[in-house]
Amino acid sequence: MATTSLEQHAPVTGLRWWREVGWRHVIGIVMIAICVLPLLYVISASLNPNGTLTGSNKLFRTFSLTNYSELASTDFAKWGVNSLVICTVTALGTVFMGAAAAYAFSRFRFSGRRASLTALLLIQMFPQMLAFVAIFLLLLSVGTVFPALGLNSQLGLIAVYLGGALGVNTFLMYGFFNTVPRELDEAAKIDGASHAQIFFTIILRLVAPILAVVGLLSFVSAYGEFVVAKVVLQRVEHYTLAVGLYVWASDERNAPWGLFAAAAVLSAIPVVLLFQFLQRYIVGGLFAGSVKG
Amino acid sequence: MRRSIPLVATALGVALTLAACSGSSNTPAAVTTPSETATTAALTGTLTVWVDETRIKDIKPVADSFQAKTGIVLDLVQKASGDIRTDFVAQVPTGQGPDVIIGAHDWTGEFVKNGVVAPVELGDKAGTFSKSAVNAFAYGGKQYGVPYAIENIALVRNNKLVKDTPKTFDEVIAQGKAAGTQFPVIIQQGDKGDAYHLYPLQTSFGAPVFKQQADGSYTNELALGADAGTKFAAYLQKLGQDKVLDPAIDGDKAKQAFLDGQSPYIVTGPWNTTAFKAAGMDITVLPIPSAGGQEAKPFVGVQGAFISAKTKNAVLANEFVVNYLTTEAVQDALYATGGRVPALKASAAKINDPILVGFNAAGATGAPMPSIPEMGSVWGFWGTTEVQIIGGQAADPAAAWTTMVDNIKSAIKG
Amino acid sequence: MSTQQTGSRATAPDIDEQIVTRRKGTTSHARDFGPGFFVKLVLVAVVNALGVYGILAAAAVGSWGIVGFLVIALVLVDWVYFSRRMLPVKYLLPGLLFLLVYQLFVMAYTGYVAFTNYGDGHNSTKADAISAIQIQTERRVEGSPSYPLAVLEKGGVLAVAIVENDKAMVGTADQALAAVGGATVEAGRVTAVPGYTTLAFAQIAQRQDEITNLRVPVAADGSKGSLRTQDASTGYIYTPSTVYDAATDTFTDVVAGTVYKASAEGTFTAADGTTLNPGWRAGVGLKNFTTMFTDSRISGPFFNILAWTFAFAILSVATTFALGLFLAVTFNDPRVRYRRLYRSLLILPYAFPGFLAALVWRGMLNPRFGFVNEVLLRGTHVPWLTDPWLAKVSVLLVNLWLGFPYMFLICTGALQAIPGDVIESARMDGAGALRILRSMTLPLLMISVAPLLIASFAFNFNNFTLIYMLTGGGPNFAGSPIVVGHTDILISMVYSVAFEGGNKQYGLASAVSILIFVIVGTISWIGFRRTKTLEEL
Repeated sequence: MATTSLEQHAPVTGLRWWREVGWRHVIGIVMIAICVLPLLYVISASLNPNGTLTGSNKLFRTFSLTNYSELASTDFAKWGVNSLVICTVTALGTVFMGAAAAYAFSRFRFSGRRASLTALLLIQMFPQMLAFVAIFLLLLSVGTVFPALGLNSQLGLIAVYLGGALGVNTFLMYGFFNTVPRELDEAAKIDGASHAQIFFTIILRLVAPILAVVGLLSFVSAYGEFVVAKVVLQRVEHYTLAVGLYVWASDERNAPWGLFAAAAVLSAIPVVLLFQFLQRYIVGGLFAGSVKG
Repeated sequence: MRRSIPLVATALGVALTLAACSGSSNTPAAVTTPSETATTAALTGTLTVWVDETRIKDIKPVADSFQAKTGIVLDLVQKASGDIRTDFVAQVPTGQGPDVIIGAHDWTGEFVKNGVVAPVELGDKAGTFSKSAVNAFAYGGKQYGVPYAIENIALVRNNKLVKDTPKTFDEVIAQGKAAGTQFPVIIQQGDKGDAYHLYPLQTSFGAPVFKQQADGSYTNELALGADAGTKFAAYLQKLGQDKVLDPAIDGDKAKQAFLDGQSPYIVTGPWNTTAFKAAGMDITVLPIPSAGGQEAKPFVGVQGAFISAKTKNAVLANEFVVNYLTTEAVQDALYATGGRVPALKASAAKINDPILVGFNAAGATGAPMPSIPEMGSVWGFWGTTEVQIIGGQAADPAAAWTTMVDNIKSAIKG
Repeated sequence: MSTQQTGSRATAPDIDEQIVTRRKGTTSHARDFGPGFFVKLVLVAVVNALGVYGILAAAAVGSWGIVGFLVIALVLVDWVYFSRRMLPVKYLLPGLLFLLVYQLFVMAYTGYVAFTNYGDGHNSTKADAISAIQIQTERRVEGSPSYPLAVLEKGGVLAVAIVENDKAMVGTADQALAAVGGATVEAGRVTAVPGYTTLAFAQIAQRQDEITNLRVPVAADGSKGSLRTQDASTGYIYTPSTVYDAATDTFTDVVAGTVYKASAEGTFTAADGTTLNPGWRAGVGLKNFTTMFTDSRISGPFFNILAWTFAFAILSVATTFALGLFLAVTFNDPRVRYRRLYRSLLILPYAFPGFLAALVWRGMLNPRFGFVNEVLLRGTHVPWLTDPWLAKVSVLLVNLWLGFPYMFLICTGALQAIPGDVIESARMDGAGALRILRSMTLPLLMISVAPLLIASFAFNFNNFTLIYMLTGGGPNFAGSPIVVGHTDILISMVYSVAFEGGNKQYGLASAVSILIFVIVGTISWIGFRRTKTLEEL
């Protein structure tokens, strides 16, 4: 996968290897330890049938898969499907709308361009403290006209998430679009390609790494979002994973920490897999593109 | 006569709407939430009931039996316990809230202040309930909820470690120390303090949070200050210095430590004893002994049902809340699944589980947690000050306590 | 290198403009009847169909706001996509429409709430408040019995029947209870009255509002109260203890005679200042904005907290970016084996829900029993979350743990935009790794990443979840007149004041949201100008 032109060097060895490559492994291992340590707690709790989340420092003193098998009798699987559907659609929508906007900002010159770019970013900075009240009222009235976009609807929630599609993501893509040489689209234009053809067939392919990054970012942020989701999705069977986990954890007295931990471990898997899958586009995508372009 | 014309028109409109709903689910006239199937509404009816995750298991069988008996469908909507109150207060005015909400009595004040609950009339049934349970749902002379279960904290003893029954709280500590375990007694605290679990000790110094009237209802006059309060504050400091209380022990830690046999005593409620029993522990539930000489009075929490002020199904809601939840069979069933002392006297008389009997006895001296809205201004200051006294950040407990009382007073004034 | 790029970009627009102008006839999608055109046609047709349906549906339920919005949106969509001009708008419109509906609405609504007293006690409309007061102040007549009751109907008018002194009595809203002859009574309850239909349960279920609102006077002059039922099977006699007069807009206490007048603040208030609950939402002008500064309880700790909010936001961005960038660069070297594995594991903190991580860290940093102290530091009692300064450090460290994968991701992505051959040739020329990073990689990276750092600053400025879940703002200031602590940031302080004080104040919270927005927005805007991000556009 990582076979790029850079790897055609002769392999380095010995001290030079340590100075140039080896230390990177040390850092990698240390960082992974730091990343994983708190998660060990969660995994340990998930293997303990009637334990607490942070009550014990003796990790892995019990090993039982009860919590995992008990997840089957909860709505966990449904939540998982809901989350995957909602987050996938949100991520695709965000990537598409964000890329389109970034293309417009990067390739066209129009009055108010700078102002609107700034405005997009500033709008995202509004504290969403009362968002839950406002979103509830909004979806309540939208629901009277388009029931599919109203309360308790996955589509409604996706629409709310897509409201944030422009903004930081647009900026990230905009910056990346600007690094794609304009000569490419100039040449295509001279060949008679329309702006839409340039966008869909040339630019999008060249910016694949950033599309993958933005897709992942918006997937993850939708995946972990529960403040708006719990307002929109009012029924247990419609919950997303984040809402379901939040509800389990919000029980102050009898929180099912074992189930919670098991669910948290399982729910982290899609994100890791998705990153695994997208990594090939994120890393090295541009090289592939520029060779063809 | 004239008055009833709009009424009839409304009724007709509602009937048409319902018919339209059942006919096609996608017409613009379907103003109600799309997920609610209104197909059976024309014949019997559907009641939307909000219940949080702690109580839904208990209510589910009752909902099923209610439907079997009356044909009215109870649509249970699970809400997160952290949000159910806020959402109810915010959504009822929009007409979107539930018909009935299951909750705790101390929500009453907030609900009434916002006009989101309808009064209920228990009539002669009021006498069949534990008086304090019914009164817990009263506010300003009106009844707003129907109780079904009572819970409170008590002293739970691990019989494997200690067998004597203590007379005072100092005896508890002495026995605990003699037992040689890591902790003599556990009262959960956490960074933000836990005034709820310390309240029995506080009342044993004669410092209840608000003054109580003869009928048991609270006035908004603070009573936790003065000499009694500062004496309790000094006692807290002593417990902190002796390492009996530790802010580092939060609820999670407390439960685990008692499960691990690290303490012979824990002050906790019935929500934890289930786990203790499940782990095979031999436990006894005792009243919390006095620390300051007077009776230790834990807060009593009462579970019950409220009816929304804006319900479109007031008759059905009353049928469920006032006429069904109040029956002996239902209170028995709620006891069987929920494991809390029933609010109905006849059902309570039947319980024989020694643990629940113990909790019931420990709660006999207690008073309902104040349901007045002013209570909301108390918790934050209260816990913070207590934990600072215990942890030693507040070197002068009496001064810290007096400042706390002043701050609460100023917060209540607004 | 970077100046050359910027230079070429600066001249590009002119070429672009020329080409677009010159070739508009052939390049514009609007006149290109290829497959793309038909895709567009179908999409716009679908949007139009949905829009027209929406307009009709909204008109049917009288939501004129939605009708107006949809009409404008539809006209805009058709105009934009069938016009030969408006090229950029074609690309911006979909995102903008969503933004308009779902983000700007929230802002507008918050702006509106900021000028009202919406909150506990002022929760709904005046009409709701009036009916709630009426119901709450209705008193059951002392000593009156409960009556088994039947609901009847005659000519569409509801009536109730009870048994009093062994006589069946019937009454309606307009006719006081009066004895009727010929009624059938079973076990103390009337089951049938000649001339009336006894409502069965199904009929009752359809007229519930009507039934529960029915008040049947006991005596013709209304002096003895009225009979009401809430369950259609038992009735009780009530008298109102307050009476509302719509003409003067006042409530009068019938016993004490106190008159409560509707006030501009949204309550019925008596001359002595006592009020009736609930009140209603009313406009209060700038009161919510001035409270922040005039209420000494809030303004006291305000500047302390403001300073920490800035420190927290800036340091969070700096630390997460530094670590994220460092790791991204470290693992961008193709000679490192297992890079994919490293990268995948490094984003793990990002894959778990944030609130879960905060909960776990809170447990791990427990001073006496936490994993960090007990196991890693062998039984020391470092007060990670209970010492004011250490708590701040802990908050920053946990936020670093939570936040670096994000920076790592965007840096990894942005690094790909830097042509490898450029770096490679610099390396061949003998430039050191650090030098390449500082003078080539970083400037190029900053073009796309700088705005994200500013956005990240804004995000952390309002990072309520972390503070709330990790420390709850604690350790609290001792003896402070509001419950706030050393790690509270502005938004969590507002939460504590406006929501946790036992009295929810949406109005105040909205006003502060707007203030925070003004602060963050201004700083970010200045930040853009300073970093020259906007100059490069």
